[in-house]
Amino acid sequence: MEKNSQRLIPLIVTVGQVVIFPYYIIWLKEVSMSFTLFAWLFAVFSFSAAWGFRTYSVKKPDSSAYISAIYSGMGLVYIAAGWMVFPVEMLPYAALLMQIGLGFLQGYFRAWHIQKPSYRVHAVHHYLLVGIIMIGLSFVKIFSPSIFLILFGVLLFISGWW
Amino acid sequence: MKTMISITKKPWFLALLVIIFASMSAWNIPIEKRKYGLSQSGLATDYTGLLPGKIEQVIPSENIEQLQKIIKDSNKHGKHISIAGLQHSQGGHTYYKNGTVLDMKNMNKILEINEQEKTVRVEAGASWGDIQESINPYGLALKVTQSQSIFTVGGSLSVNAHGRDIRNGSMAGTVKEMTLITPAGEVKKLKRGDQLMQEVLGGYGLFGVIADVTLELTDNDVYSMHTKELQTKEYEEYFHKAVENEKVGFHYARVSVAPGSFLNEMYAIDYNVTGEKDNSTPLKGESAVRLSKFALDLGRSGGRLEDFFWESQKQFSRSFNGDTVTRNNAMRSESDFMEFTVPGRVEVLQEFFVPVDSFEEYINELKNTLPSNDKHEDFKVHNITVRFTERDSFTHLRYAKKDMLGLVVLIQHGVNDKQMQHAENMIQKWTEATLKFGGTYYLPYYPYQTKDQFRRAYPEWEAFKEQKKRVDPNEVFVNLFYNHYLKD
Ligand SMILES: Cc1cc2nc3c(=O)[nH]c(=O)nc-3n(C[C@H](O)[C@H](O)[C@H](O)COP(=O)(O)OP(=O)(O)OC[C@H]3O[C@@H](n4cnc5c(N)ncnc54)[C@H](O)[C@@H]3O)c2cc1C
Repeated sequence: MEKNSQRLIPLIVTVGQVVIFPYYIIWLKEVSMSFTLFAWLFAVFSFSAAWGFRTYSVKKPDSSAYISAIYSGMGLVYIAAGWMVFPVEMLPYAALLMQIGLGFLQGYFRAWHIQKPSYRVHAVHHYLLVGIIMIGLSFVKIFSPSIFLILFGVLLFISGWW
Repeated sequence: MKTMISITKKPWFLALLVIIFASMSAWNIPIEKRKYGLSQSGLATDYTGLLPGKIEQVIPSENIEQLQKIIKDSNKHGKHISIAGLQHSQGGHTYYKNGTVLDMKNMNKILEINEQEKTVRVEAGASWGDIQESINPYGLALKVTQSQSIFTVGGSLSVNAHGRDIRNGSMAGTVKEMTLITPAGEVKKLKRGDQLMQEVLGGYGLFGVIADVTLELTDNDVYSMHTKELQTKEYEEYFHKAVENEKVGFHYARVSVAPGSFLNEMYAIDYNVTGEKDNSTPLKGESAVRLSKFALDLGRSGGRLEDFFWESQKQFSRSFNGDTVTRNNAMRSESDFMEFTVPGRVEVLQEFFVPVDSFEEYINELKNTLPSNDKHEDFKVHNITVRFTERDSFTHLRYAKKDMLGLVVLIQHGVNDKQMQHAENMIQKWTEATLKFGGTYYLPYYPYQTKDQFRRAYPEWEAFKEQKKRVDPNEVFVNLFYNHYLKD
C-alpha cells in the first residue's frame, strides 16, 4: 500500500484534480450565484491550502503522513459535491466547508508530494497526461458535472485504500 | 518584521485566517438565492416561479421609436407581446406562451422634476426607489406607492397598486399625464380624464405600453410613529378614529396568525404628521436582513415558535413607538428578508379586500374558514397585514368599490399536484368568504380563484373586455393573466 500511494497515486491525484477542475468549477459557479462569492470561495481554498501545506511542513520527518486518509478525504469532498442533496438554501454554506476541506487536503498533499523522489518525473507526466485527457474529454458530451465529480471522488477514495 | 513572517508560517495562524475569512464569507452569502425572471432562450417565470412558460424572445426596451417599431410589426404579423417591469406580479402577467416580452427595465430615466408644481416625469421602467433617490434632496415625496420601493412605475400603475398612505386616494389618481404607445403603434400623450388613460391604469399591460408618466408629488413630511395593541373586535372603531384624525398620514395593522392569539390580537401603527419637512435625511437601505429573516423563519415553523414570533413582532412594534421617520423612508420597507427558497415549496401573496365596516364579521368568518394552528398543515399562513384602500373611481377592474380594508396575506404551500389543489381549495374558500361580505381580491397575484369568482368580484369585467376588444382588436398585448380570466 505504501508503495502505490507514493509511486502512482500522486500522479492520479494531480492529473485527476486538474482534469476534474472544470467540472468542479461549473458546480461551484452554479452554487455561488455571485462572482464575489465565487472569488471568496477560492480565497478560502487558498488560505486553507496554505494552512494544509504548513501543517505537513512542520511535521517531524519520521512521523506518519496519513496520506491515504488525505486521498480518501479528497475523494469524499468530490463525491459530496456530485451527490449534494442539500436544499438550495444550504448549498453555498456547504460549498464553503468543501473549499476549506479541499484546500487543506490539497496543500497538505502538495507539501508531502514535493518531498518525494518521484515528484519531478510526475511533473512532466502530469502535464502530458492532462493535455491528452482534456482533448479526449472535449469530445464527450455531458449534461451534468456531477457524474464526473462522483466518479473521480470514488476513484480517489478507493486510491486511499489501495 | 521577522517575527511577523514567522507568525504567518504558523499553522495556527493560517487556521485562524481560514476561520475568520470563512466566517466572513458565510455571513455574506446572499439571502436572495432564487433564480427567476426572464431568460433569452428558455423558460420565463415571475416572482413565484409557479407558472413557467416558454417565450419566443425578450427585447430590452431602448426608446419610444424602438417600441413603436416592435409593436407595429407585431400587429401586422399577428404576434403577441407582453410587458414586463420588475416582474413582482405573480400570476404570469408579464409573459405569454411563445410571445415576445418587452423588458422595460432599461427605460428608467427621471426626465424632469418640477419643484414648483411638485411633479416628476419619469420613464415607466424606473422603480419607486429610483424616483425617491432623485426627489429626496428636493424635500419631495411620492403621494402613493406600495410599502416597498422595489417596483416599476409602469408595473405598479398597471395594477393600480396601493400602500400605507390613507390620505391620497388611489395610485391611478396621482397620474397627471402619460405617454402611451398604443397597440397600433401610435404614440399618444394622455391627460387625466382621458378615457384611454383610465383604461391603461389598472389595465395589466393589455392596452399598450406606458412609456413615461408625470406624477404628482407631495412634501417629504416627517412622521412620528405610534403603535397600539388591540383586539380584532376593537379595530374598526380604532380605524375610524385614525381616519378622522387628520394628523394620521399613514396607517397599517397586523393581525395575529399565531395559534395562541389567532385572528384575535392585532397591533396598529399610525404615522402622525409632525409638521416638519425634510430634505436632508438620507434614504434608508436594507438593514438587519438576517435578523428579520431569522425571525420570519421562526414564524414559518408554526406552533409555539409562531407564538414567539408574534410576541417578538409586538415587542418590536413597541420599540419604535415615538420614533420619527420621513415620508420617503416610510415608503421603502425592507423586502430582502422575505426571501424563501425551499425546493418543492412556494411562498405567495394574496390580498382580500372587505368594506371597512364588515371587518369584524369578516374576521369571525375567517376563524371558521382557516385552521388556527397550521404547524402540521401544508397550507400555512405566515402573516396578515391590514391596509386601507380608499374608494377608487378611476380604474375598471377596481378592487375598492367602497372604502376597503385590504388583508395582505403571506402564504406558503407545496407545489405537487395534490398540494396545489389543496391551496387552490383553501384560497377559493377564503375568496368565497370575502365575496360574501361584498369584498374583492387583488389581481396581481397567482390566480387560484375560479373564473366565476373573478366575475363576481369584478362585475365590470365585461366592460373591460369590450374596451380591450376596441383598443386592441388583434390582441397584440396579452399575458397569462388575460388568458386565464378574460379570454373566451
Ligand atoms: C413582496 C411584494 C409586496 C407587494 N406589496 C404590494 C403593496 O404593498 N401594494 C400593492 O398594491 N401591491 C403590492 N405588490 C404587488 C405589486 O405592486 C405588483 O406586483 C406590481 O405590479 C409590481 O411592479 P413590477 O414592476 O414588478 O410589475 P410587473 O410584475 O413587471 O408587471 C405588472 C403588470 O404591469 C404591466 N406593465 C409593466 N410595465 C408596464 C408598462 N411600462 N406599460 C404597461 N404595462 C406595464 C405588466 O404587463 C403586468 O401586467 C407586492 C408584490 C410583492 C411581490
